[in-house]
Amino acid sequence: MVDPTPDAAPPVLELQHLRKTFRVGFWAKKVPAVRDVSLALQAGESLGYLGPNGSGKTTSIKCLLGLVVPTGGHARLFGRPASDPHARARVGYLPESPYFYDYLTPTEVLDYVGKLYGLAAADRSRRTRELLGVVGLDEAARRPLRGFSKGMLQRVGIAQSLVADPQLLIWDEPLSGLDPMGRKEVRDLMVELRRQGKSLFFSSHVLGDIEALCDAVCILDRGVAVAQGHLSELLRPDALESEAVLGMSAQTEAAMLALRALPEATVTLTPTGVRVVLPTAAVAALCRAVADLGLDLRELSARRDSLEELFLRKAVARGPEAAA
Amino acid sequence: MTTPAQHKGTPAQPPVLHIAGIGPCLGRVAAVAANTLREAGRARLFYGVLGAAVLLLAFSLVLSDLALVDQKARLVQSFGMAAIPLVGAVSATLLGVVLLHKEIDKKTLYAILPKPIRRSEFVLGKFTGLAVLLGLQLAALVLCWWPVLVMRGGALTPALGRAIGLCLFELWLVTAVAMFFSALTRPVLSGVFTLGVLVVGRSNYVIADLLGANKGVFVEVPAMRALGKVLVAVVPDLSTFAVADPVLHGWSVPWDYFAAAAGYGLSWTVLFLVGAVFLFERRDLT
Repeated sequence: MVDPTPDAAPPVLELQHLRKTFRVGFWAKKVPAVRDVSLALQAGESLGYLGPNGSGKTTSIKCLLGLVVPTGGHARLFGRPASDPHARARVGYLPESPYFYDYLTPTEVLDYVGKLYGLAAADRSRRTRELLGVVGLDEAARRPLRGFSKGMLQRVGIAQSLVADPQLLIWDEPLSGLDPMGRKEVRDLMVELRRQGKSLFFSSHVLGDIEALCDAVCILDRGVAVAQGHLSELLRPDALESEAVLGMSAQTEAAMLALRALPEATVTLTPTGVRVVLPTAAVAALCRAVADLGLDLRELSARRDSLEELFLRKAVARGPEAAA
Repeated sequence: MTTPAQHKGTPAQPPVLHIAGIGPCLGRVAAVAANTLREAGRARLFYGVLGAAVLLLAFSLVLSDLALVDQKARLVQSFGMAAIPLVGAVSATLLGVVLLHKEIDKKTLYAILPKPIRRSEFVLGKFTGLAVLLGLQLAALVLCWWPVLVMRGGALTPALGRAIGLCLFELWLVTAVAMFFSALTRPVLSGVFTLGVLVVGRSNYVIADLLGANKGVFVEVPAMRALGKVLVAVVPDLSTFAVADPVLHGWSVPWDYFAAAAGYGLSWTVLFLVGAVFLFERRDLT
């Protein structure tokens, strides 16, 4: 999915060696925001866009939508340059912390957006009704946005991104500003949109959301894509670990020494016993030790390599010198 | 998000998009213009300027009492023909400078420009909305001024009507200038530059006269002479639209003059709008 092949149908979204350098201050000092990002998203797939603050996520999304002109490389939507308005006709964009005209009501916002897509009046009216229901704003449909909470504005943002029934959704931090119930509802909506065959490209700081909703991820760090691919490929299947919780009435010196002697085991004392994390291959040795020492095995579970660990491995491990 | 899952996001009947062609293009321009009109129409700034203008016209009623009997109508005419373009120019400058920048500053553009709309259509829509608003403001001011004029024995003659019509072309040109600078820099600087164009444009003929004189700073100092020539060449001559004085002295503003001045104003307006689009299309919205 992430490495485009020349023979495949044009990806719905594609970045090729994207670079963006801003010039700031009186002396127009160069500040690179995106150094080298290449990725592609095929129809019907979902891609999570990850990275710490300032890693270049929003800038590269803006390049994709024609808000920012790239310094180098290419940004394409449905095989067309991102600057082509026709390419954007099939895209629904939700900006990070969306801002709308606060004197408009949600109905007026959706109607305005519908006009920009060239929708007929009847279609606009129908879509407005449908989408206000989808995002749960029926009751507030005729209230000016200036009185809306951040979560309600986020819902308006989601609704306006769906007005033209786009094939590709580019959502920048769609779950920010929402309460737990709102987050669940938006997650459900994203699952449903995926089920309907929409392509989804979204950024988030919440790794759990990306892990739950995406086929693939692209991790950005200081403007460089440091990891990308399907989660099943990136999360190391060979690096499975297991975790055991042992009940020990008295933590004997001998038992602790025996546990610590297990291959690559990490032994942590807890108020009620001991927690041991070790490679799954060493579980048999752990069981033998438990039997020999007469310990109480309360819990034994497999620990999968998580997106958080992958993120830390890729983004944090680059260290500060990578920025130079 | 309460509707059944099968209806979430996707409509039962997909909407038909109309993107390509002149019709949809004009539709997008009209949508932005209507929203601009709505936005500017709700701005306190607009009503502040309008209120000040109405007070100014009412003041002319009081002031005319101090005039000689046969000069009352002339004073109201003179006062109105000075106040109306001035108020219009202030509105055009402020709204032209503020509205485009506000879209960037408040990030409302981020939700609009990723839609299938060209930046040129957005700029044109903004301009159209402001142009209509300024037209409505001018009409409102004339409607306030007219009864005052009649009360003092005057009349809204066709020549006065054409003179006011020329004001509108000047206001559109000032709006385009303000939007040009607004696409280039920050509001305060845009405002200063626009006022600069307004002042130089109104006194353009004076600079031209000074350049043609036998002596003076514009003749004797080469740098000033060069500056004067540049100003005369690149700043539109706004005195073309300022026909109040000749009208008060009985000039009828012939239609051929009106048409030529309107054409001159529209040409400069288009030029500044093209410049605004050129700058705005290259601007990063960060």
